[in-house]
Amino acid sequence: MGRYLLRRALSSSIVLATSLILVFLSIRILPGDPVLARLGAATKVTPEALEALREEAGLDRPLLAQLFSWLSDALRGDLGVSYISQFPVTQLIGERLPVTFELTFFIIVLSCIFALILAPLSILKPGGILDRFIGTMTSIGLSIPGFVVGIIFILIFSLTLQWLPSLGFVPIKENIGQNLQLMIMPSITGALTATPYLVRYLRASMLEIKQSSFIRTAEGKGLSDSRIMFRHILPNSLVPTLTMLGLIVGYTLSGVIIIEYMFGLPGIGSLAIEGAFKRDYAIIQGVSLVIISLFILTTLCFDILCGLVDPRLRVAKDRQNEI
Amino acid sequence: MRFKKRFSISGFIVLAIVGITLSAPLLSPYDPYGIDVGEPFLGPSWTHLMGTDDLGRDLFSRILYGGRITVLIAIAATIVALVIGTLWGMVAGVQRGWVDEILMRTADATMAIPQILFALVCVSAVGSSVISLPIIVGLLLSPTTARMARTAVVVELASDYVVAARATGLKKSRLIMTEVLPNIAPQLLVQLSINAAAAVMMEASLSFIGLGIQPPDASWGTLMLQGYGNLWNTNWYVFFPALVVTVTILAFNSYGERIRVSLDSRKSST
Amino acid sequence: MKNSLIVKNLSISVPSAKGRVAVVDNVSFEIPAGKKIGMVGESGSGKSLTAYALMRLIKDPVSIDGGEIFLDGREILGLSSKEFRLLRGNEISMIYQDPMSALNPIMRVGQQIIESIQLHSPVSKSVARKTAIDLLASVGIPEPESRIDSYPFEMSGGMLQRIVIAIALSGEPKVLIADEATTALDVTTQDRVLTLIDKLAAERGLSVLLITHDLGVAAQFSDDIMVMYAGKLVENGSVDQIFSNPAHPYTKALLDSRCDYTIDVNKPIRSIAGQPPRPDNRPSGCVFSPRCAHAEPRCSASVPPLTSSQGRLTACFRADELFQVGAVN
Repeated sequence: MGRYLLRRALSSSIVLATSLILVFLSIRILPGDPVLARLGAATKVTPEALEALREEAGLDRPLLAQLFSWLSDALRGDLGVSYISQFPVTQLIGERLPVTFELTFFIIVLSCIFALILAPLSILKPGGILDRFIGTMTSIGLSIPGFVVGIIFILIFSLTLQWLPSLGFVPIKENIGQNLQLMIMPSITGALTATPYLVRYLRASMLEIKQSSFIRTAEGKGLSDSRIMFRHILPNSLVPTLTMLGLIVGYTLSGVIIIEYMFGLPGIGSLAIEGAFKRDYAIIQGVSLVIISLFILTTLCFDILCGLVDPRLRVAKDRQNEI
Repeated sequence: MRFKKRFSISGFIVLAIVGITLSAPLLSPYDPYGIDVGEPFLGPSWTHLMGTDDLGRDLFSRILYGGRITVLIAIAATIVALVIGTLWGMVAGVQRGWVDEILMRTADATMAIPQILFALVCVSAVGSSVISLPIIVGLLLSPTTARMARTAVVVELASDYVVAARATGLKKSRLIMTEVLPNIAPQLLVQLSINAAAAVMMEASLSFIGLGIQPPDASWGTLMLQGYGNLWNTNWYVFFPALVVTVTILAFNSYGERIRVSLDSRKSST
Repeated sequence: MKNSLIVKNLSISVPSAKGRVAVVDNVSFEIPAGKKIGMVGESGSGKSLTAYALMRLIKDPVSIDGGEIFLDGREILGLSSKEFRLLRGNEISMIYQDPMSALNPIMRVGQQIIESIQLHSPVSKSVARKTAIDLLASVGIPEPESRIDSYPFEMSGGMLQRIVIAIALSGEPKVLIADEATTALDVTTQDRVLTLIDKLAAERGLSVLLITHDLGVAAQFSDDIMVMYAGKLVENGSVDQIFSNPAHPYTKALLDSRCDYTIDVNKPIRSIAGQPPRPDNRPSGCVFSPRCAHAEPRCSASVPPLTSSQGRLTACFRADELFQVGAVN
């Protein structure tokens, strides 16, 4: 297990580094002058002033040099300073990270709960009415953009029923009740975008397990259907699903960005969007680093979780590398 | 290579949507930019099938023209993803070795970046236009196509008929064009449909947060943004673009699934 | 002698293009207490399905169309599924063909036995664990106290099959069904497992139904033999009767087609011409008649019932006369 972890950590780092480089390069290589874009077309700027700004932002140095200095600064926790507001990026991200964490946490928990209810229901009678109904709902769920779901919720619960406010955020420390009130809709919206993927995958996995030999042995013991479902089928289906879950989290992070924006939650997702609007590259780079690192870290964690749940993997993965 | 040609609802809907939106100039009852063709915020009626917006523009016309933009961008993005992804995957699958490693690791890295974030980064650098959006979205979608193409190519190259053909001295490049490519074409078709769905979703999302198509042009995403902004005034405005977007994405996804299913059943019957 | 198991007119069908067709057709037999019965036949003869019917593990689209099964005098097909579940794994249990895939891969083997023990009797976890260790010892697992916490992937096929046997014995079974239980094992392990089942059956007074396509295994292990062909029971007698003196033409042909190192390599292997009929294509009258060397017109006219002939049961109109002529021997 240890060897496997080391290997995974190494390949994750490579992926992380590569994607960060991609982000970094995209900003600088793609046509469009970041400094000019930042100033906007309306301003009349002298070429000297432009040069000065560029020098200030360090954009006149060779590409590799920029990359190295940014990365080394980042490792020390310094993500630079916002081009626009002059606030340190690290500070901005730090203030907003808890919001995103809370939202992502709720979304993951809710998606898991929804999936763990819907998938077993589907395979009670595969091909039956309930299964097909859930299947259709899943297909539709995959095709509805997340923000559409959000809009529907706002329409129903904020405008029509007036039960929930639609915008804003209150930190937990201030007022738990209000915090939760404001988080319900965003969390469920996010969960509804991830759940269809989870359900599909879990259902396929469970169906395969259901037809395997050891389930027949379990039935032969005289175990009840529910016991077989929850003690035998589900745990065995979780193992392949856990890996999937990591990827689904990544997909969810995409949705989180939009959800934060439309529900007015001050998280790093909305920070990214604001940064994109203002062409503030320091922010964009910084947020990208944080988001991508979190995603890769999450996939790694889920892989570890896999190893914990499935004893075979602990041994097998070490052996894999010996071959 | 033959498909079971049976009538498919999703395929029909896909064709219908593409056909209708692309013929927007012919079908649209009003000028989509025409302000004050009607009273502002009229509800759906016989004169204005989907009502009007805050500037009195007819929503139905805007949906038709908006659809044209969305669909064109989606198709263009899909083609970009197809071309780049296929080349990417095929080069990796044919060359193998460290070229393969690097190309695939780059694909993994690109897929590790959450899609919206990647789009945000690119849009902030390049700006969003009818030209840049398809390229950005296409780039986004190409790694999955690349992986799929690579696997397909590797599998094909290892299969008996290829080994036999190589044994007779056929050049690799010729082999690829005449044999391998047609055989992975069906899978690419599936990918095409799924990518189209994803492209529509991405464009709508980007336009919704204001980083996609800019006014006065409108795509379905922009129309939804407009509807969202005016949610307190009208609760039906946002419904129409939301509906067409969902139906379009659903149709593309279903069609792709359908092709995949018929491919699988064809494979298992041989 | 009391009968552990009585099966009367069991019929099982599956859907086909021509509607439902019988894969087990009107099969009846009895298993006396403490006896070991070997059920032999080719693949597709319906032997495994019969076994699954005894455990009521038949699922859609396969279904039991008719018949009665009496377990220890109690009819079980008519019971509700809840009522029968109390018996399954408890009074009647089964061991399976592939031990490597027969156990939950992420659950410790001990836990899987304990689960079964606690299901059938209200004991505490510690008592169940002790019982499990005893069971492991009785099936021949070395160092049971430590092995009880192993995972299936840490054990060999032979050991896993012993675990499956332990699970099967965790209740108070009267009947043990072994469905090709040794087919996936190598010959030495096969022998050991069969000896083990034999010993345990004798100790506990179990009846055993051993299902196999291996005539040698059946001969070595069983007291009585039942021969299945195309969903029908064609012969049922003691091991000696069947093997030295087969009454049914199919049984005779089956025994003749055996190969071992004593046969003459210069002569061609005696096989039975033709193929067993598919379930949707059964011949009228005797199922074996199209391939039988001694078939007569009356054989395709009506189905021969299981009748007594030379001390065993045979489904052949001509059994007695063929014996007289010496044709079948």
